[in-house]
Amino acid sequence: MDSSFYLVQLLNAVQYGLLLFLIASGLTLVFGVMGILNLAHGSMYMIGAYLAYYFTFLTDNFFLAFLISGAIALIIGFIIERFLIIHLYKRDHLDQVLLTVGLIFVFNAIQSFVWGNDPLGVEVPSLLSGSIKLTDIIEYPVYRLFISGVCIVVAVGMYLIINRTKLGMMIRAGESDRNMVENLGVDISKLFTIVFAIGVLLSALAGIVSAPIVSLVPGMGEHVLISCFVVVVIGGLGSIKGAFVAALIVGLVDTFASVLLPEISSMSIYLLMALILLVKPQGLFKN
Amino acid sequence: MSNIILEAENLCKFWGGLKALNELNLKFEDKQLHSIVGPNGAGKSTLLNTLCGTYPATSGVILYEGRPITKLKGYEFCRKGIGRSFQKTNIFHNATCLENCCIAAQQRIGGSFNLFKRRNKNKEIIKIAKTALEQVGLSERTDTKAAVISYGEQRQLEIAMVLATKPKVLLLDEPMAGMGHEESQTIIQLLKELKKEYCIVLVEHDMDAVFELSDLMTVMVDGQHLITDTVENIRNNPIVQDAYLGNDDEVF
Amino acid sequence: MSVFSNKSEKLFIYIFFGIALFIPLFLNDNTFYINKIASIIILAIFVMSLDYLVGRTGLITLGHAMFYGLGGYIFTILAPEYEAVNFWLYTFYVMTASGFVALIVGLIVLRTNGIYMIMITLALAQMTFYYFADSVDYGGLDGLFIYVKPETSIFGLNFLDLDNETHFYYLCLLSLFNCFIFFKVIMNSSFGRIIDALKENPDRATALGYNIFQFRLIAYVIASSLASYAGYLFALQYGFVNPTMMSWDVSATALVMSLLGGLGTIYGAILGSFVYEGLHYTIEHLTEYWMFFMGSLIIALVLTLKNGLAGFLNSFSRGKSDE
Repeated sequence: MDSSFYLVQLLNAVQYGLLLFLIASGLTLVFGVMGILNLAHGSMYMIGAYLAYYFTFLTDNFFLAFLISGAIALIIGFIIERFLIIHLYKRDHLDQVLLTVGLIFVFNAIQSFVWGNDPLGVEVPSLLSGSIKLTDIIEYPVYRLFISGVCIVVAVGMYLIINRTKLGMMIRAGESDRNMVENLGVDISKLFTIVFAIGVLLSALAGIVSAPIVSLVPGMGEHVLISCFVVVVIGGLGSIKGAFVAALIVGLVDTFASVLLPEISSMSIYLLMALILLVKPQGLFKN
Repeated sequence: MSNIILEAENLCKFWGGLKALNELNLKFEDKQLHSIVGPNGAGKSTLLNTLCGTYPATSGVILYEGRPITKLKGYEFCRKGIGRSFQKTNIFHNATCLENCCIAAQQRIGGSFNLFKRRNKNKEIIKIAKTALEQVGLSERTDTKAAVISYGEQRQLEIAMVLATKPKVLLLDEPMAGMGHEESQTIIQLLKELKKEYCIVLVEHDMDAVFELSDLMTVMVDGQHLITDTVENIRNNPIVQDAYLGNDDEVF
Repeated sequence: MSVFSNKSEKLFIYIFFGIALFIPLFLNDNTFYINKIASIIILAIFVMSLDYLVGRTGLITLGHAMFYGLGGYIFTILAPEYEAVNFWLYTFYVMTASGFVALIVGLIVLRTNGIYMIMITLALAQMTFYYFADSVDYGGLDGLFIYVKPETSIFGLNFLDLDNETHFYYLCLLSLFNCFIFFKVIMNSSFGRIIDALKENPDRATALGYNIFQFRLIAYVIASSLASYAGYLFALQYGFVNPTMMSWDVSATALVMSLLGGLGTIYGAILGSFVYEGLHYTIEHLTEYWMFFMGSLIIALVLTLKNGLAGFLNSFSRGKSDE
């Protein structure tokens, strides 16, 4: 195995890590501001993927499907927050777990009903279907670079929003002291709705963008959710910066473990998590 | 004859850049009631929290019966004999008053790792719990659920729980918080009795009570020790008056 | 002082065990249904251990199925494929081994706070899933088999033949009963007093001098060992284990059963398991999308009936609600 092989793996690792960041940032944002651990976060990823499949099939245009699916995800996020999550604010963690587990069941049933249990796929849009030459010998799929690109754009966008806008200021304030924010006259309920919808969108976006390179199967949401948990635990719950660093670490460990240590590759990220916890029980970046 | 039970030497508690406690040197004697007063934000609650191990000290030493206890874990402070009551009522709401005190007493008596011994069979624990309830005047409420007793009675229960752990030192954080004048009287009488047996460190805003009860008063401002003296001297001290008047607290 | 906390509990236990005792007679050796009910009883043991952990000790775990699977796997791995081992001896092995694993996991997991625990337990359970699913020695996704069931002799006296469905059923029922009594005993003990205290107000318990980490660790080891015992019974029933025993939805479903029956009531685990399985069985015949129904029911329950069925039934009984 030469250096070009490792370069490809590195790019894959970064791409996977960025995707994990996209998902994990939504989870950690919602928890940091609202105190809600949304177990159905993985289901949103799944919904995003299946919606992308559906609308690509319908319109034959992936980019259009991208936009429509994103819009629908926002609406779904809005509805879930307004009607269900809103009841959880005064309740304890267990109620959050139970209610969002119920949501997972419901979404899985809907997925099964609408799309069935056979694996589905989405074709990479022709515009992005080529490969780009990185060196003399290796080529790398354009679409994977596109995914990384989308994630980076979103990450930068989030950074700008959080640090440069009024909404971002409210988010940062809400993360440190919810009561204080309320006392300052901010409409907490509107803030929460927006934040939750953003969280859902981030996860769904990851699903939409992944659709052409993964197999759409039942249970894909939970699989991603668990990886997301590993990222958030390592990075520190509530810290978006932590999620970024942790996601890249996890992406690297997972990708390189599967090529270097295939016997334990599936377990690698969990072992990593356990090791980090032994030393830093609150994650790398305690909030 | 002075008998110093609890001592703070150059005690500091910093939250990042905020110096909540700055080089405090204090001595607390047995069978004495020593009040800590000061304007809001002076660090009184922080002091209590640090003395009872809830907050680890940033630097400095806490000495209990002459021996340093600064590095001990939070729960070990109580085992040594430093009992603490909370400003915001922190009882076991779903348990009866007796059970609340039994939980406290069991820590002293032991047997907590016994999976099979029925909890109500230990006569010694029940005796200690009942005595504690009696001391604070809550005997009629023995079998009442803690959630339904009045606010004032809950504050009494707070103190009973501490007494049930058989401490030597009582760190009391605003025991009269939110109480009217009459309710406060009960606590004041109780503290008068208790100071005959225990070393009491009292943080309180009710200045009438403080003047009535204190053998010594310490005034803190901005995390620092301003002065420690008898009630008379503190009252007449212009520096103290300045500290308070400057802060818009209605005191004297 | 009675073992029971209130009238509903007493009534339920008497009725349940009263009926359950005679089920094989009613069913007239219809082995399919006897096995089906035995499997729900095994599930109830698992759910009961989870209820103790979540409902009584206040430790929310989404990885409890890890021990369920471990119980089955430890037995299947230790026991020779074609030889009948001693049931009692292997019960001891399984519970001790899983207790040891629980100790290690507990040391990692219990030092973190509630939210982290939810995520970490889920991740660790997933890790165990992958460990067995990817393994070559342990059957991978296909799982492992044992072909000869243990024998149950003590000092030469043979009680039960585990190949006989009715005998196995009674073993499960006896186990469930013992489990229930055991939990009631430790809940009413001095230890249980502190567990109740630290669930309700951990800060106060710490301020009173209790090292709550130690208590939680003990509760965790106990509950996990019993979950493993349930997994062991599962393995015995069909002679087969596979990694899906450890999947997250086994943990989540158990939590739901606990909710249905009433979190923290312990007997609610039995109620919830049977209600869930009963609903599953009936509704599955009506529609394929029973998950949708169950998911909606869970959401509805969380939003309205916080205390599950047991709480709902309790409000009808005149007895004192549990402490």
